[in-house]
Amino acid sequence: MLKLAMRNMARQRARTAITLAGIALGVASLVLCGGFVADILLQLRERTIHSQLGHLQIYKQGLHASGGHHPLDYLIEDVDAVGRELAALPGLAVYGQRLAFPGLISNGRAELPILAEGVEPGPEAQIGSAFSILAGRPLTTHDRFGVIVGEGLAKSMKLEPGDRVNLVTSTREGAANTLDFEIVGVARSLSKEYDARSVRLPLQAAQELTDVAGASAFVVLLARTEDTGRARAMLASRLPPGLEVKTWHELDDFYKNTAALYERQFGFLQGVILVMVLLGVANSMNMTLHERTAEFGIMRALGRTGREVFLLAIAEAALLGAIGALAGVIAGAALAWLISAIGIPMAPPPNSESGFHARIQVVPVVLAAAFALGLLAAVCGSLVPARHVTRVPLSDALRRAV
Amino acid sequence: MLARVEDVSKEYQLGDQPVTALHHVNLSIEQGVFMAIAGPSGSGKSTLLNLLGCIDTPTTGTVYLDGEPLSGKSADELARLRGRWIGFIFQTFNLLPVLSAAENVEYPLLQFVDMRGEERRRRVRHYLKLVGLAEFERHRPNQLSGGQRQRVAIARALAVRPKIILADEPTANLDHRTGSRILRLMRRINRSTGATFVFSTHDQRIIDLADRRVDLEDGRVVRLGVRSGHEWVYAAERAAAADRTGSAERAAAADRTGSAERAAG
Repeated sequence: MLKLAMRNMARQRARTAITLAGIALGVASLVLCGGFVADILLQLRERTIHSQLGHLQIYKQGLHASGGHHPLDYLIEDVDAVGRELAALPGLAVYGQRLAFPGLISNGRAELPILAEGVEPGPEAQIGSAFSILAGRPLTTHDRFGVIVGEGLAKSMKLEPGDRVNLVTSTREGAANTLDFEIVGVARSLSKEYDARSVRLPLQAAQELTDVAGASAFVVLLARTEDTGRARAMLASRLPPGLEVKTWHELDDFYKNTAALYERQFGFLQGVILVMVLLGVANSMNMTLHERTAEFGIMRALGRTGREVFLLAIAEAALLGAIGALAGVIAGAALAWLISAIGIPMAPPPNSESGFHARIQVVPVVLAAAFALGLLAAVCGSLVPARHVTRVPLSDALRRAV
Repeated sequence: MLARVEDVSKEYQLGDQPVTALHHVNLSIEQGVFMAIAGPSGSGKSTLLNLLGCIDTPTTGTVYLDGEPLSGKSADELARLRGRWIGFIFQTFNLLPVLSAAENVEYPLLQFVDMRGEERRRRVRHYLKLVGLAEFERHRPNQLSGGQRQRVAIARALAVRPKIILADEPTANLDHRTGSRILRLMRRINRSTGATFVFSTHDQRIIDLADRRVDLEDGRVVRLGVRSGHEWVYAAERAAAADRTGSAERAAAADRTGSAERAAG
C-alpha cells in the first residue's frame, strides 16, 4: 500500500509539488508563528525576571498577603541565616537584599510619594540586567547617598543626574526621618507604573533612613529559569520558619496578563493558518482523488473493498502530509535562524516603555506540534473526498475510465 | 452450470426518468464457453456483464455464480467474490498506471493472503509469458502499446484463475490487426485452459470466434445461439432437435433457454 501511495504521489508531480508546498508553507508558518510567540514570551519572561523580580523572592510571612504596604513591619532580621541557605542553593547565580519602604521625594520645588528600595548595587547589577539606565549611571558600591529614579518620576519632577533630592520616610517607630541624596541615574524597568514612583538607593542608606537593620526581601537570581520550581521547593524546606518564597510568576501580574494577551492573539492567528492549510489540502486532495475515481473503481473491481481503497487514499494523504510537514519544519527552522540573525524590531508591550528585538525560537515542542498539525490537516482534508470517491457506485466509477 | 441469470431486470434513474436497461433476462453460462453478448449500443450488454461481474446488482431477479445467489451479499462480500472468482478485461484496459506490467498482474493476487510471494511471482511470470509479454514485465502501462496493455489486462484477469472472465468490448480501443491478435490469444487460452470467457461486443470477429451467442435488443434477449460447426443453432431449433432425439437433458436445457427467449420476446 505504501509503495502504491508513494508512486501515486510521484505520478502527478506538479500537483503533488503544489500540495506539498501548501502543507510545507502552512507548517513553516506555524513554526515561525509558534517560535515568534515563544520568543516574545521568553524575552518577556527574562526581562521581567532581570528587570527587578529575580527568579525568587523571600519575604517574612504575611508581607505579601498584606499587599506590601508596611514592609518595615515584616523585616527579615536574621539575614545571615538566609544568606547561608542561599549560598548553598544549587544553580544560584546571585542573591541580594532589598529594603522597601514608602516615602516622599522632594527637590525643593515639588514633592511626590515614592516607593523606595534599598538595594545592594553589586548583586543588583546582575539581577537587574534588563533594568535600563537611560541617563547617568547605575548605583555602585561606592555610592553612599546616590539614588536612581524611575523614568516617570524623573519626568514628573524634571530630575536629571547630578540633581539633589531629599527623601523623607517614617521609621518603624513612627518618627519622620530625612536624608539628602544625589541622583546618579534615571532608569526604566518593564513597568511604567513602577517607573512613575520608584527610587533605588544603597541598602545601607535605606537602613539608615528607616532606622532598621534587616531587609524586607531577598531577591534570588538562578542560572536557569527552568530551575525556579525546584529551587523554590528546596528553599521552602530549608529556610528558617516564618519566611515564604515566591516565584517571579507569582509576583508579576503584568507578565501573566501580557502572556495571556499574546497567547490569545497568536492562538487565533495559528488557528487561521491551520484552517487555510486544511482547506488548501482538502481542495488539492479533492481534485486528485476525484480524478482517480476510475482507478479506485478498478481496484474495487479487482477485489479490493471500499474500506481498503479508502485506506489507500488516506495513506497517500498521510504520506503527502508527512513529507510536506517535514519540509515545512525544516524550512521553518531555517527561516527562524535566518530571521533571528536579523531580529524583528518590536514595539513596547502594554504598560511598558521599552521595545525590543524579537527572534524566532526553534522550539522542539512547536516543531513537533506543527508537524503533527500538517500531517493531521492532510489526513483530515482527504477524509471527505476519499469517502466520496470510494462510495461512487462501481459501475459509474468504471465508466469514468478513459 | 457456472453462472445463471434468472428473470433479471435492471432499472436506472436517468435524472427524473427511470430507464429499464434489462427486461426479465434469463441466461445460463456453462463452464468453458467462449460467449459473445452481442447487440447495438444501449441494448444492455454492459449492464448484463456488470451484473454477472458483481459490479452492479439487479433491480429484480437473481444472478447465481457457481450455484450461489449473489443477492443479499454485502459490498465487501461481492468485492471478495470479484477478486477470487471473476477476471475483468476492459475496453480501456484499466491498468493501474503507477505499476509495472508484472505488478499489475500481481495486484489482484495480493489479496490472497495465504499465497506466498514466490508462488505469486511464479504465477505472474507464467501468465505474462502466456500472453507473450515476458520481456515487458518491468514496463509501465505508458511504455506499452494498446495491444500490449490489453495483453497485460488479460494476464491480470487470468492470474487469479477465476471461474469466469468478463470482457467488455476488449477490442474497441485496438486497431484491427491488434484486436484480431488479442482475440485469437483469448480463444487459444480458452481452448487450452478451459477458462470461461464472456464478451460484451458488437465486434463481428468476436461473434465469429464465439461458441455461444446472446443477442440483446432494448434490454431483452432476442436470440440464444450455440455454434455447430460454422453455423449457429438457435434455441428453438435446439429444442426441436432435443424433442427428436428424446434427450431429456438437452430438452431441459432447451426449455430453460426457450423460456428466456419467450420472456425476452
